[in-house]
Amino acid sequence: MSILSLLIPVTLVMGLVGLASFFWSLRNGQYEDLEGDAERILYDEDDRPLPSRTYKSPKEPTP
Amino acid sequence: MMSSLTATERSRAFMITMTVLLGGLVMAAVGHGDPIGMQGWVVILFTAVVGVVLLKSFDAPDPVEDRSASYYDDPTRVGIIIALIWAVIGMGVGLWVASMLAWPNLRFDAAWSSFGRVRPVHTSGVIFGFGGNALIATSFHIMQRTSRARMPNQVLPWFVLIGFNLFCVIAASGYLMGITQSKEYAEPEWYADLWLVVVWVAYFILYMRTLARRNEPHIYVANWYYLAFILVVAVLHIVNNLAIPASLTGAKSYSAFAGVQDAMTQWWYGHNAVAFFLTSGFLGMLYYFLPKRAGRPIYSYRLSILSFWGIVFFYIWAGSHHLHYTALPHWVQTLGMTFSVMLLVPSWASAGNALMTLNGAWHKVRDDATLRFMMVAAVFYGLSTFEGSFMAIRPVNGLSHYTDWTVGHVHAGAMGWVALISFGSIYALTPVLWRREAMYSWKAVELHFWLALSGTVIYVFAMWNSGIIQGLMWRTYGETGTLKYSFLESMIAMHPYYVARALGGLLFLAGACVGLWNVLMTVRHMPRHAPERDYPTSSEATEPAVPAAE
Amino acid sequence: MTLVDGDAAEQLMSPLQQGAARRSLRTARDGGAICLLSVPDIRCGGCVSKIERALNARDDVASARVNLSLKRVQITPSGSRADPALFIAALDRLGFAASAADDATATPDPTGNGLLRATAVAGFGAMNIMLLSVAVWSGALGTTRDAFHLLSAMIAVPVVLYAGQPFFSSAWSALRVRRVNMDVPITLAVLLATVLSLAELLQGGEQLFFDAAVTLLFFLLGGRYLDQMMRERASSAINGLARLAPSGAMVRRPDGALAYVELEEVKPGDRLVVSAGEYVPVDAQVSEGSTDLDRSLITGEPLPVLASPGDMIEAGTLNLTGSVEAVALRPAAESFLAQMIRMQSEAERNRGTYERIANRAARLYAPVVHLMALLTFLSWLWTTDGDWQQALFVAISVLIITCPCALGLAVPVAHVVAAGRLMRMGVLMKDGAGIERLANIDAAVFDKTGTLTTGRPRLEPVIADVADLSAARGLAIRSSHPAAKAIAADLVAEPAAVVEQVQEVPGYGIEGRIDGRRARLGRGDWVAEIAGEPASSPTDPAFAFAGGAPIGFEVTETLRDGVHDTFDAFSRGGLDLVILSGDSRERVMHLSHDLVLTDICAGMKPADKVSYLENMRHEGRRPLMVGDGLNDAGALAAAHVSMAPSSASDAGRTAADFVFLRKGLDAVAATHRVACRTAAVVRQNFTLAICYNCIAIPLAVAGLVTPLIAALAMSASSILVIGNSLRLSASPEKLRHGTRRRRLKKAAT
Ligand code: HEM
Ligand code: HEM
Repeated sequence: MSILSLLIPVTLVMGLVGLASFFWSLRNGQYEDLEGDAERILYDEDDRPLPSRTYKSPKEPTP
Repeated sequence: MMSSLTATERSRAFMITMTVLLGGLVMAAVGHGDPIGMQGWVVILFTAVVGVVLLKSFDAPDPVEDRSASYYDDPTRVGIIIALIWAVIGMGVGLWVASMLAWPNLRFDAAWSSFGRVRPVHTSGVIFGFGGNALIATSFHIMQRTSRARMPNQVLPWFVLIGFNLFCVIAASGYLMGITQSKEYAEPEWYADLWLVVVWVAYFILYMRTLARRNEPHIYVANWYYLAFILVVAVLHIVNNLAIPASLTGAKSYSAFAGVQDAMTQWWYGHNAVAFFLTSGFLGMLYYFLPKRAGRPIYSYRLSILSFWGIVFFYIWAGSHHLHYTALPHWVQTLGMTFSVMLLVPSWASAGNALMTLNGAWHKVRDDATLRFMMVAAVFYGLSTFEGSFMAIRPVNGLSHYTDWTVGHVHAGAMGWVALISFGSIYALTPVLWRREAMYSWKAVELHFWLALSGTVIYVFAMWNSGIIQGLMWRTYGETGTLKYSFLESMIAMHPYYVARALGGLLFLAGACVGLWNVLMTVRHMPRHAPERDYPTSSEATEPAVPAAE
Repeated sequence: MTLVDGDAAEQLMSPLQQGAARRSLRTARDGGAICLLSVPDIRCGGCVSKIERALNARDDVASARVNLSLKRVQITPSGSRADPALFIAALDRLGFAASAADDATATPDPTGNGLLRATAVAGFGAMNIMLLSVAVWSGALGTTRDAFHLLSAMIAVPVVLYAGQPFFSSAWSALRVRRVNMDVPITLAVLLATVLSLAELLQGGEQLFFDAAVTLLFFLLGGRYLDQMMRERASSAINGLARLAPSGAMVRRPDGALAYVELEEVKPGDRLVVSAGEYVPVDAQVSEGSTDLDRSLITGEPLPVLASPGDMIEAGTLNLTGSVEAVALRPAAESFLAQMIRMQSEAERNRGTYERIANRAARLYAPVVHLMALLTFLSWLWTTDGDWQQALFVAISVLIITCPCALGLAVPVAHVVAAGRLMRMGVLMKDGAGIERLANIDAAVFDKTGTLTTGRPRLEPVIADVADLSAARGLAIRSSHPAAKAIAADLVAEPAAVVEQVQEVPGYGIEGRIDGRRARLGRGDWVAEIAGEPASSPTDPAFAFAGGAPIGFEVTETLRDGVHDTFDAFSRGGLDLVILSGDSRERVMHLSHDLVLTDICAGMKPADKVSYLENMRHEGRRPLMVGDGLNDAGALAAAHVSMAPSSASDAGRTAADFVFLRKGLDAVAATHRVACRTAAVVRQNFTLAICYNCIAIPLAVAGLVTPLIAALAMSASSILVIGNSLRLSASPEKLRHGTRRRRLKKAAT
């Protein structure tokens, strides 16, 4: 199955991209408040974009 | 609609359109005498229509609205209407194909109307035309809402949407002319494939740029599902369509791979198309619209993230179950089988997560047909993935392969899951997008629900029966050790089921027509809604799915 | 304290509260300021959006974000002059009590993320190696197989080196002090499997254990991550509970000005101002003014005591009614509160090290396995006439197959599931050791005030004129004295009368004018001064209009719900039951008259409680201590295992192994039940793991273990163990239903 020498590397690279994006999301603090994030999509009092604010990632504070 | 573009944007859009039209002209000129020439005319016609629409509002004054204060919804609006139009076309053709199998005279004896040419019009029409447009439209909505940010650009979404539809039109018209690569779900030829790559890259860029602009730090899980859909489909599409055109002035091309290698690539693609086109993106839809409509957060957000990674990793190698008992090495088949069976775990985790979210809101499911669409879709998702894992076991596949059982499985997934979740999402979305109080007729939604459900059930049961009978008849031996039934006899035995399937398809198609009508009437006749929302607001909306102790 | 209308709240926020609020400020990495507030009352998405919308609409807020899991608000103020007190006041107006977030929760624990990263890497490796292995097992041959083997190695080696670190480092630190823990055999198995497979690979061998090594890591890391997450969640939930201890004091400067001073900087001789509603910051002597003090968390006295000039007041007592000035006697580090905390850590140290079940198992297990591998090696060497390569291969496969994958999961998974279950019942568990200890207690010791009782007295029914009752309630709602609160709460049927010229006299009661008539609510003798006749009792609360007939109120302590159920359940389980109280014997006896007890001790000082428990432990007993007060902190730490209600003092909550958020005491019995079932499941898990080994080891010793068998057997036993543990949450015996049914049964008999 010589074709696998193409398909397997392609898959591995995709897997690595996945792993890298998981690492990114972890470092970015994406999983810090899963409960709250599940709730957030439910608010829809005002269906409009937020004025762009500069959010700080919640991980940053150093006491 | 185009008047929401500024003059520069309009002229940029016009230039792009004209460039594509020029490409069509080149195809028409160099491809004279080859089907590619005809395809060139299709491109010219399509872009000309787009150009005229643009020109009609070319001199309109620049919009004055404050763009930072609203989402850009025009492409979404157009997208869901196009999706519904494709639904009617694709399912209409599906009904024709189904009827043709029951009453072969419906073949009409023309070259373009042969089964082999019309069938891919059905499959591409529903998967790419209906499913693809529904995915693109809802993704535009979801990425903006969950990022709480407007898209970065006004031309790019139109390019993606219209460009994708150009691909669909080239594909469908090409099939009728007899143009095909003979790879299922990847039938379009090289020029269409190249065009799709351009569109898809633009889509990916648009998505990433919107996420980069987000005002909400968290990226909601639906976006991950959509991103996986976009990214993986791009890679699959490119690898599977590696082909060398016989000539640059002709439509025909030859695959870069030969024999069983090509088959392996095709089903590596084919099954991942199921995974990332027909599953991942629609799960994104489910994870957004179901909680939203039910007014309660997803049962376990953690599980939704976990099953995302499970699906991404397990699906990749499941494809070889399409090639059981073929020239494919035995161990590659076993590999596909193993991973297909393991795939059941993340699949059921997703279906269970969706149903558990509704646990405690069953009264809403009872009263709200839109929510019921989504609930039933989740049930069918669980059903078809269980069935799929079962069929992937080699001996089972020995019975099911080549029979209508596969077709039954396909439509349990395609009608029961893909179409129902799309309809549910569209009903949830329409009033929000057009700022309407509600759908024009809730009775019509109810009617659509029952038509779709009964259509699916009739279709799937007919195919299960016919498939198993077929499979058994083909492997029944007489006393002398010869096959007991001729192929013709098995065909005759199928007839009643094919009639039943056509009936089921008719009901399902009727439902889709009702849906299109209802959406159009909502846009035209429903009063505008002042506080712009369409979701239940009862106080329990904020209660957690599982009441905490005390 | 009178009711404050919204807009005035900011001005009325006391300087002390403003000073404390400043503790919430931290510097972000980019140098800007952020404010972290702990808001325990955030419950759902509705609260989140309400808070975020309100805060984000403010001019002095650049952005505000709520963390629902940690119940915390992070605010990035706009402009340089941020005043956190304003944010707290704004939250207060929305109905959310907020305080400066604890430092401990401010930065999430980095080990959690590290474990998650390792788990992800191991998962990635496991998936891909599994893919290649399935291909090899199902018949890929020749160059394909060699290529797949090479690829597996290329994935496995970095994955093992990265993801194995948590185990390697833990094993290494155990070995350095000449001990073994569970991680020693795990490390050995993983490393040997990898090295052996590499060696085989170089020789073109067929038997590679890469998949076994990496899958093993994945499973174990998963279990460990869950364990970590559970502990983090519980500790953040506990830290999220409102802090009771004061963080600073208001000091009157010689020039008469008031200034906020951090607690550590308060010196003896400083003149402190303690307003109503504040905690006393350091031990002090009242110099001016008088007030009622709630000392229930300090001494266990349920009803407030009067403090007037000359009286000593201890740090940690709550000032209820009046504002007083007091002279600090000792610095904070020597205050009563600090003494209690020292006593607690002392007791903790004396408690001795408890060895976790998993480590006890490892101590037995590791030598057996290693010996077995050695014997296998020797006997193969002998039977194969010195084919040491073959012998080594078999010996190592013994090590791999006996690798305590299931054993490593047996305990943490059960504990994680149990913790999740407890959390749903409203009980927070700090770590797995607590639940192991709770399962084998033989006595239960309870504090009285705040533990057996609700801390909120109840009003016995009164019969009187509606007008009088509504007048009494009108006065009662203006006071924060517990008796007044009970009257206000239990007379809900009466509308509160409008009261003017309210005046609270600490130690006596509250006075005002209703419809122009003078009225008093307070001590009987004080009320009798204006009434026409004496009240029924001079000390019990009473109410009267000037010249009218006084109405006596009887206020009694109330037992928490579920006290009887808990005591029944424990005495049926053969546990000794003890009450240790700092309160008077009379009140303890009154409360416990219908409880079956082994021992009742009243008037206990904090040190008495500690020595009581230490004596029990010396006798070899394993007591559970349930208490809430500051005076219980030492005892909680000295006990075998301990629980505290969420209303407990900060020190009490820190000392306890479990904190229950429910109102009823039945949480204690329920937690005990869960602990016993968890212990049973852990035992079953060990049995399963041992059974697995009984089957696997002979195969391995006989040299019959192929990598396929190793990987399958290990995954199967792990999944079995996980599945068995999940049973702990699968049958949620509804707590409340349980008790109700029992009560019905009791009523029937
Ligand atoms: C009105 C409803 C529909 C009807 C009547 C219908 C009918 C058919 C028929 C007759 C076939 C050919 C089966 C054969 O070759 O034996 C077919 C194939 C197919 N249809 Fe549909 N269909 C409907 C809806 C849909 C929808 C909504 C989808 C997807 C979203 C879908 C996806 C497919 C696919 C993927 C195949 C190819 C199956 C295979 O190759 O095994 N269909 N359909
Ligand atoms: C766990 C998930 C699933 C597994 C393991 C699975 C497995 C299978 C198997 C074994 C076949 C038959 C292959 C053959 O005999 O030729 C098949 C066909 C198919 N399945 Fe699934 N399936 C799954 C989920 C789905 C879902 C959710 C859809 C959604 C629409 C879907 C769409 C299809 C299609 C379109 C085909 C027909 C392919 C063809 O044209 O031959 N599958 N699947």
